[in-house]
Amino acid sequence: MTTNNILMLKNVTLSYWTRLAFFRREKFTALDNISFNVVKGETLGIIGHNGCGKSTLLKVLAGIYKPDSGVITQNCQRISLLTLGVGFDQELSGRDNAIISAMLLGVTKKQAMDLLESIIEFSELEDFIHQPIKTYSSGMKARLGFAVAIRLDVDLLLIDEVLGVGDAPFRKKAEQTMLQKINSQQTVIFVSHNESQVKRLCQRTVWLEKGQVKMVGPTDDVFALYNQVLNNDNVSLKITPQTAKQSR
Amino acid sequence: MINTKRHMFEVFFTKLKFNLKSEAKKTYLSYIWWLLEPALHVAVFYLVFSVFLNRGTNNFLLFLLCGNIPFLWFSKSVSNASNSIVAGRGLILQISIPKPFFPLLVVAQDSTKQLFVFGFFFMFLVAYGVEFTANWFYVLPVIAAQILLTIACALLAAAITPFIPDFKFLIATGMMMLMFGSGIFYSYKEVLLERHQEIFLMNPLANLVKNYREVLLENITPDWQALGMISLYSFLVIMLMSAWFKKTDATYARLVIQ
Repeated sequence: MTTNNILMLKNVTLSYWTRLAFFRREKFTALDNISFNVVKGETLGIIGHNGCGKSTLLKVLAGIYKPDSGVITQNCQRISLLTLGVGFDQELSGRDNAIISAMLLGVTKKQAMDLLESIIEFSELEDFIHQPIKTYSSGMKARLGFAVAIRLDVDLLLIDEVLGVGDAPFRKKAEQTMLQKINSQQTVIFVSHNESQVKRLCQRTVWLEKGQVKMVGPTDDVFALYNQVLNNDNVSLKITPQTAKQSR
Repeated sequence: MINTKRHMFEVFFTKLKFNLKSEAKKTYLSYIWWLLEPALHVAVFYLVFSVFLNRGTNNFLLFLLCGNIPFLWFSKSVSNASNSIVAGRGLILQISIPKPFFPLLVVAQDSTKQLFVFGFFFMFLVAYGVEFTANWFYVLPVIAAQILLTIACALLAAAITPFIPDFKFLIATGMMMLMFGSGIFYSYKEVLLERHQEIFLMNPLANLVKNYREVLLENITPDWQALGMISLYSFLVIMLMSAWFKKTDATYARLVIQ
């Protein structure tokens, strides 16, 4: 283990209990013995099919869920999930929502007030900012949410497929801003289904399958095997010594 | 992401302000409902007991107000708080936030409204002809004891409901029992046998209602021992719940999605 590791996960396991009926519960293991590490300054991708545990993993890293077992060693102070519309209240204006949302994401009230102008400008909502957000379209809400969330100043940023926000011009602007943030020494864990996006942004990638780490390694290598499996379900998957070496 | 205690307070009070604003925006009469809602409750009781059943004694309206206003505050705060963690699931699943934030916010919201209700109530008492004396200031320790009791019960109810959602039905029934068992619309001295009165006053809400009436209507100093006991036990429950939430905080995020 190098000292450059900002985060290390060892055998992290988490299960849910789902209430089915009268006193009947079912156990579901969302994360099963997850181990990998994150190096300072890198952008680490996480891929996998729906329901493989990607979002649960991000919630564990953000401190929202506590794992049942395993160890998470953290060499940084602030880890946060980039989520749109944190604490949004439909009755309040865009302005009030921007203030409380920014504060819930970690800034003081004074900082939130100082950021307000740039948030409003970035969201391109102009006079709509004084209207209750229940009158907004989903695209407008996403724009406001993104404009607030991108101000997050953290050591490790967790991103869960938020680049598909708003209309095409705003999406482009959002992606550019995100790229700037990712390229500015920010350590990022990026969850996505979009292969080209992950290949463009991430040096290394973790592939999750049914709550387990199937492979950790350079993004191109992981996608090569991932696509092979997608195309041929019968290919037997085993972590070879070579791919294991690639995982740090 | 709440960084420090100071940041926590700042977020709490900003959210409190915005929640009150948001709640008021949902209705046509907006902030007027803060006073209108308890007034309507009292009006219904007055109509039933004083007019229909002809049970009203002298000053029955004042007697009723002294019981009903504190009861409604307690009942609404605890009922709302019981569901607060489940209702806050959106935020709980987005950021790491201490869970007592939600029930405490509910109590703060209802208590802010209650400040105006009490202000209006005291003015009403004077307008009705009750003499304002220095003894009225003794209502402050009674209110303080009730705040502690409300926080303790709100934290307890909020902690249990996500584990056992069925608990919210028991709370509704419990509140009805409490209403009948706290002497809101009757005088326990006239209704109960003397040997049962001590047991009746072990119900902290009944005891608080008795103290409100004695301080405001009868010019009597409050029962310090009773207020002390209510405050002490409430404080102990608050400490206990605080330790509970510290230990189990992360469990709630998984409970609210079950």
